[in-house]
Amino acid sequence: MSISPETETWIGKSLLRKEDIRHLAGAGMFVADIRMPNMQDVAFVRSPIAHGHLLGIEKPAGREASVFTLVDLGAVRCIDAGPELASFRTTPYPPLAGDRVRFVGQTVAACIAPTRAEAEDIAEQVIVNTDDLPTVVDAVAALQPGTATLYDGWSNNAFIHATIAEGDIASVANAPVQMHRTLKMNRQATVALEARGVLAYWDHRLDELVVYTSTQGPHVMRLGIAQSLGLPEHKLRVIAPDVGGGFGGKNRLMPEEIAIAALALKLGHPVRWIEDRREHLIASVHAREHHYDLTLFAETDGRVLGIKGALHVDAGAYALWPSGPFMESSMAARNLPGPYRIKHLHIDTHTVATNKAPLGPYRGVARPGACFAIERAMDELAHELGMDPSELRRINLVSAADMPYRTAGGLLLDTGDYPTALEAAVEMIDLPAIRERQKTPEPDGRKIGVGFAVYTEQSGHGTVEWTKRKSRVVPGYESATVRMLPDGTVHLMVGILNHGQGLETSLAQIAASELGMHPDNISVRHGDTGSTPYGFGTFASRSIVFSGGAVAKACRQLAIKICRIGAHLMQTDTAETALRDNAVHGPSGSVSLAEIARAANTRPELLPQGTEPGLEVTATYEPPDSGGVFSYGVHAALVAADPKTGIVEILKYAVAEDCGTMINPLIVDGQIIGGVAQGIGTALYEELPYDEAGQPLATTFGDYMMPCATEIPHFEIRHFVTPARNTEYGVKGMGEGGAIAPPATIANALTDAFRDIGAKFLETPMTPRRVSEAVARAHGENG
Amino acid sequence: MTSTSFCLNGREIAQEIDSRQSLADYVRETLNLTGTHLGCEHGACGACTVEVDGTPVRSCLVLAVMCDGKNVETIEGTRTDEAMNIIRRNFREKHALQCGFCTPGMLLTARDIIRRHRAPNDAEIRAELSGQICRCTGYMGIVAAIKSAAVEING
Amino acid sequence: MKASAFQYVRPENLTEAIELLSGDPDGGAMAISGGQSLLVLMGLRFAMANTLVDISRLPELHRVSESADRVFLGAATTHAMIEDRKVPDPSSGLMPRVASKIAYRSVRNLGTIGGSMALADSAADWPACLIALDADIVIMGAHGERREKAEDFVRGPYETALLPAELVVGIDIPHRRTARWGTNKVARKSGAFADSLAVFVDSSNDGPARLALTGTASHARLLPRTSTYAHENRILDNADLRATILADLEDVDPLADAYRQRCHVATAMRAIAEARL
Repeated sequence: MSISPETETWIGKSLLRKEDIRHLAGAGMFVADIRMPNMQDVAFVRSPIAHGHLLGIEKPAGREASVFTLVDLGAVRCIDAGPELASFRTTPYPPLAGDRVRFVGQTVAACIAPTRAEAEDIAEQVIVNTDDLPTVVDAVAALQPGTATLYDGWSNNAFIHATIAEGDIASVANAPVQMHRTLKMNRQATVALEARGVLAYWDHRLDELVVYTSTQGPHVMRLGIAQSLGLPEHKLRVIAPDVGGGFGGKNRLMPEEIAIAALALKLGHPVRWIEDRREHLIASVHAREHHYDLTLFAETDGRVLGIKGALHVDAGAYALWPSGPFMESSMAARNLPGPYRIKHLHIDTHTVATNKAPLGPYRGVARPGACFAIERAMDELAHELGMDPSELRRINLVSAADMPYRTAGGLLLDTGDYPTALEAAVEMIDLPAIRERQKTPEPDGRKIGVGFAVYTEQSGHGTVEWTKRKSRVVPGYESATVRMLPDGTVHLMVGILNHGQGLETSLAQIAASELGMHPDNISVRHGDTGSTPYGFGTFASRSIVFSGGAVAKACRQLAIKICRIGAHLMQTDTAETALRDNAVHGPSGSVSLAEIARAANTRPELLPQGTEPGLEVTATYEPPDSGGVFSYGVHAALVAADPKTGIVEILKYAVAEDCGTMINPLIVDGQIIGGVAQGIGTALYEELPYDEAGQPLATTFGDYMMPCATEIPHFEIRHFVTPARNTEYGVKGMGEGGAIAPPATIANALTDAFRDIGAKFLETPMTPRRVSEAVARAHGENG
Repeated sequence: MTSTSFCLNGREIAQEIDSRQSLADYVRETLNLTGTHLGCEHGACGACTVEVDGTPVRSCLVLAVMCDGKNVETIEGTRTDEAMNIIRRNFREKHALQCGFCTPGMLLTARDIIRRHRAPNDAEIRAELSGQICRCTGYMGIVAAIKSAAVEING
Repeated sequence: MKASAFQYVRPENLTEAIELLSGDPDGGAMAISGGQSLLVLMGLRFAMANTLVDISRLPELHRVSESADRVFLGAATTHAMIEDRKVPDPSSGLMPRVASKIAYRSVRNLGTIGGSMALADSAADWPACLIALDADIVIMGAHGERREKAEDFVRGPYETALLPAELVVGIDIPHRRTARWGTNKVARKSGAFADSLAVFVDSSNDGPARLALTGTASHARLLPRTSTYAHENRILDNADLRATILADLEDVDPLADAYRQRCHVATAMRAIAEARL
């Protein structure tokens, strides 16, 4: 048997997306759109202070039955989160605060009413009695001896200290060039436009608790909720309906999910909580907040020998299940050598508890910070050595001939040609023309500059990598069930989740290619633990590698059976058949998939002897080398900055990237552009500052700046395609890459714009105020 | 409660409405028209955009009772609108949506842009879109879709 | 983020509206027109009311008139109507330009010039613009109509000359048909409230030069020295102008740090430069 790729493959086609149709009709079904009889809304009472003992909660007179505190929830377990390392201090994170609150916005009580407005009326009357404990808001200062600790019994505020080292940093101690810099990537929110939401109720017919939640991984959430509630997993069904973006922010078990599930068990009617934007900004997953203190060791010709330093990650008050905040620190440190032949690495990492909302993953996880640190440092070094930054990069980049190359961070870069991508980016942004333009002042008084940044993006990493990270849940595989129905159409059930990535389309393209069908005849089902095989969800740019692989594998197994039945119906040998164009073809004729499916499903007497009826296969998949495959790219930006007001405009932005084989180039471009836009948010706009008392200062979109169409430029993209060696079709994950490089790229461009005065851009976001202050400081004026 | 009547998607509504209910909450929670999405509830994201008397407004910042006697159109009311269906097709072809949450507000805004600018250029479209947050697409597909739909609709 | 409960009333005329507002001596009655700021504050429960008096349809607030030397815009005139020039423009294009930069189009479709003045957010656009245009704010209360100069009307952040149960009924603006103008804004992104906004109307045969600034710690203010300096000098010396602006800033934004001073100096100088291009 064979399938004929010339005529049948859908791989590489920019198929329009299936999921667009319902969303364009306004007919998507998000958690907040689900209606249940007798449903009640919850508003949470949240801690108004950053740190204190919770002395008591006064329920409003007459409304006592509508207000629930931790003790009212019944038996709820606080499950351990964070890596399975003895050196990691686990912290119980109760769904509602017990005896202590540790950040502004922590859930304290749940108020329930027929509408959210009425629930808020009740919440407003609840009195939370606390005392004030010392507040810790600076992750570096938090480790100073004598600083108050968030947790009794901790010797300092670190969740964990760990050293990431490779090579021998002492051997470069006498390097002729040594450059020290401190850099900071500030805290931000993840801001899926659909905030989180949970709806839970007991389904008496199925004898199970149903929890609708806006999550990226329903199967893993079921595990966490079941353990928290002490509920056996067969009595718990978690459904992620349409999910309006996640970006990492919906991939941790959160207190509200546990509280709502517990309330539904207790109350016997549907209970719903829909996160509002203020709650999202103060108490949902926060991201980034890295402090780097780095020394680069180099030769005078620009070859970088080693990196030494410290990284503090401000992890907030609690560790979120399952992974906690340590991955942020270790990944950042391991990614510091980036795509460069740097042999020696020694980074002391400190994952620090502070009185802020807990840190979690956000598109790029750790790498936007690491990329910002190393790529900024490379530029600074180039300036110190009087070299063009692109030239310094060229000297240090891992070349195609070096592949596979193990970095000093222990990452095995698999395939690609980084120098060629750099050349492409230089050409796309037209570096010589910019250098020429810079010779004359801009007529509007602004300064222009060009910046580059190179990034790699680990994806498709499985058991080996996640075990190394000591992950509590090891997302080492994905599953897919392919089921051909009696008319020859297909249901494809997968354990990952589609929340904007177009997987209902791209996975159908893979199945269609393997089954010789049209994607229109394949429906992809996901998001319901009750109807999909086990999976870990969509994060870490893993879905196309893992789920795409599982779909391909399941479909191939099904194709064998289809051909066998087809051969039997044509009275020919299976070896003589080919599967294409909706039919199995033999030497003299063909039999349609519909006929084969009919036989397999409803006319078993037509099947060859010994063939089991039905056309259904479940397969699991993990790439053979589970250390991961690496997409990569080079970003280039031309910016103009106003030296007085500090307003920055991106005049041009180019991306040269390689994510291996593309299943659907339209979707790939969409992921790149969307990722870069988010990276621009990190670079220029988005920030969650806290004051010294631990009060969050950006609590609405009036203070938290979201980039809109006027802030985001047009992008130019050039693809290189170096297929991965060990994945199906040679795909590599690529969902996060766009978000990794923009902070570094734009900071480098600003540095270039003000190279004549030496203004320093070492902290994100580069708001008008920070840019203006950097320029003023370079002029020796008051910041 | 305030007795209120208005025309919604061509249908006459007459109801006692809780005075504090926003138009967005009213259409979503009372009428179950859930295509109008709430992304911020403070007028900054545009996901809840609907039309009142032919102009786009943020339904989170309109009291339902203030719509008395007016004509309200939500995304559900545009399903047979010819111009809107051209815009929809262009959105699909230009990959102007990913998660779909901002899409209803984007579509209603797009139709208004195309009505007021015959052949908007990129800069005009971007300026008009400021205040419509899309977290997924980076706006490039949205700008392209509005531009091409305008050409198709306005000739 | 849902408002607390309130009564809603929609009076038929201005007299009735003022009676309703006067009827609640604790100030528990508030007027709502476009609601584009008020409903945000109410949703956050930063603002609460026992009664919302809907003044959006009062015919008296929709009156628009033009005479030889002045334009009257009813308080209910929306930013979008001004942007689209659906009402007379006394400012040879300044007001449409300022309107077009307020928040976002769908907010401009409902937000009103009267509401913006009555709220007096310290970063709002209209107070600075109307001060520069030397407009009068027309106010109605139980004791009849009165007027305040725009620069006297705004008194602090969210603080105006309005007495309890008074309403802004309209804005009366002198024609500046021949005046050139300039405006410049610094904001963290498009549509965001201004960190600094300068509006300059140059001298012409229909009036003197006036420069107003907002984004201060308090409220929009006229820069008197800078206005006079610009009025008296066609050719401006950058150093003198800068020094004059800084002298004004000592009065109008004494708490400004170095960055905000830089922004104010930049927006003021650029607004003047735009007018004199």
